[in-house]
Amino acid sequence: MKRILLACSSGMSTSLLVKKMEEEAKEKGLEVEIWAVAQDKAPADMEKADVLLIGPQMRFMKKKFSKRAEEVGIPLDVIDPVAYGRVDGKAVLNKALELIGE
Amino acid sequence: MNSKFMQFLEDILLPIADKLNNNRYLSALRDGFMTALPLIIFGSIFVVIANFPFLDKFISEDAFAAYQDALGPASAATLSIMGTFVIIGIGYKLTEYYKGEAIYGGVVAFASFLILTPQVLDGVSGVIPTASLGAQGMFLGIFTAFISAELYRFFVQKNWTIKMPAGVPGAVSKSFSALIPITLTLTVFLIIRIIFSYTSFDTVQNFIYTVIQEPLTALGSGLPATIIAVLLIQVFWFFGLHGQIIVNSVFDPIWYALNDENLSAFQAGTELPNIITKQFIDSFLVGMGGSGMTLAVIILIFMIGRSRQLKEMGKLGAPSGIFNVNEPIIFGLPIIMNPLIIIPWLLAPVVVTIITYYAMATGMVPPPAGIIVPWTTPPILNGFLATGNAWQGGVLQAFNLVVVMVIWWPFLKLLDKNYYEIEKKETQKAE
Repeated sequence: MKRILLACSSGMSTSLLVKKMEEEAKEKGLEVEIWAVAQDKAPADMEKADVLLIGPQMRFMKKKFSKRAEEVGIPLDVIDPVAYGRVDGKAVLNKALELIGE
Repeated sequence: MNSKFMQFLEDILLPIADKLNNNRYLSALRDGFMTALPLIIFGSIFVVIANFPFLDKFISEDAFAAYQDALGPASAATLSIMGTFVIIGIGYKLTEYYKGEAIYGGVVAFASFLILTPQVLDGVSGVIPTASLGAQGMFLGIFTAFISAELYRFFVQKNWTIKMPAGVPGAVSKSFSALIPITLTLTVFLIIRIIFSYTSFDTVQNFIYTVIQEPLTALGSGLPATIIAVLLIQVFWFFGLHGQIIVNSVFDPIWYALNDENLSAFQAGTELPNIITKQFIDSFLVGMGGSGMTLAVIILIFMIGRSRQLKEMGKLGAPSGIFNVNEPIIFGLPIIMNPLIIIPWLLAPVVVTIITYYAMATGMVPPPAGIIVPWTTPPILNGFLATGNAWQGGVLQAFNLVVVMVIWWPFLKLLDKNYYEIEKKETQKAE
């Protein structure tokens, strides 16, 4: 079970991605849990996640989240803007799996 | 546009965004407003219901008054005294940031604020004027929450706490450990209150209101400051940074204070004092498909788009765009770093701001009534609700959508042509 956390300003636009990523995971036959949160909830939810992906419009949060990610020992990155704009579930899911190290 | 220059600008903007968003005070402030938001929206819903259009025409005047009275407490307990929740939220979040007992940080901030609040109204003592818990006390509340949380933390870190012997239950020793820091913090505020009572300002409320809040809100309620704020939002977004959240961290106190002034006037049935308010921005600029009013762009794509890329983008962006979530369009069209798009991207919101401002200033459209409409409410409905159930608000939004479409038309046409030609070449190659 891979747990993927997405974060943006209010968890709205990242939630568009969640659905697409879940579809992609289903196709691949992967067991995943993907959810999107607002930036203020992210530090708490990082404990339950294997990886954190940040919406590109909030990429200035990376520094702050990096400290927390180190504490809980998970990788994080900013989602590629092009994949974000296309709501490309496949690309973002692959990125998440790559970060987890699969 | 030269990519080195773009890189240079991004290098400037990214640290600004980082500073504004991650500054501990500004993020506590933002979280404070977030704390108040569900309550504000609850109150707003009942202001909308209490002022249901044409209801006063259908039922008797007495029945209508009774109806409004029955629903009144909903907003009186939330929206009208939103400062209360913002203050508690700030105190809580800032103390949490310092890894202290957050709930004490929240209550000590609120108590500090009450100490500074005049507890007399029209000669009647032993009351707390609700106006000071709303718009009027907004700035004092914010400063008090910052300072009290800092003092509380300072006194906790000094460790002048009462140590309980081992074996005393955790909750008991916790309540004692907060005792000294809270006592000292509140004493500081009591002293401040007493000192101010000897000045010509009489109360700290009055001092902050006259010296800081009034000048700042006067500035913020004007068209020039609003245009600057709107342009900043657009510029940040052009670089793919969340402009709204960054600019709001600075402007929200002003916009909310202006908003609450309008709400009081709306409920009292007097003339609305402000045009620029929180809802002016949230409904007439953001509530048009997202920052940059991109719902107009999506409609335009459906009307003139020939290239596959734009048509795909329209389909992808439309469902969320109706609810003012426009990241797919911003990153997908793309708007970010797109030199073709920068002119309509910066121009359209400024034009819409000016049109909306003058439509309200001349009385054609009522100004926002102080109701907070959730930002995901679709356009037209959004403008209708924001102006206190005035159809003119919805019509203005529809008109503005057309204005945005006209401004975008030549630029989107050009973008579409570029994409179309690239696609044509690709198909030719494939054949």
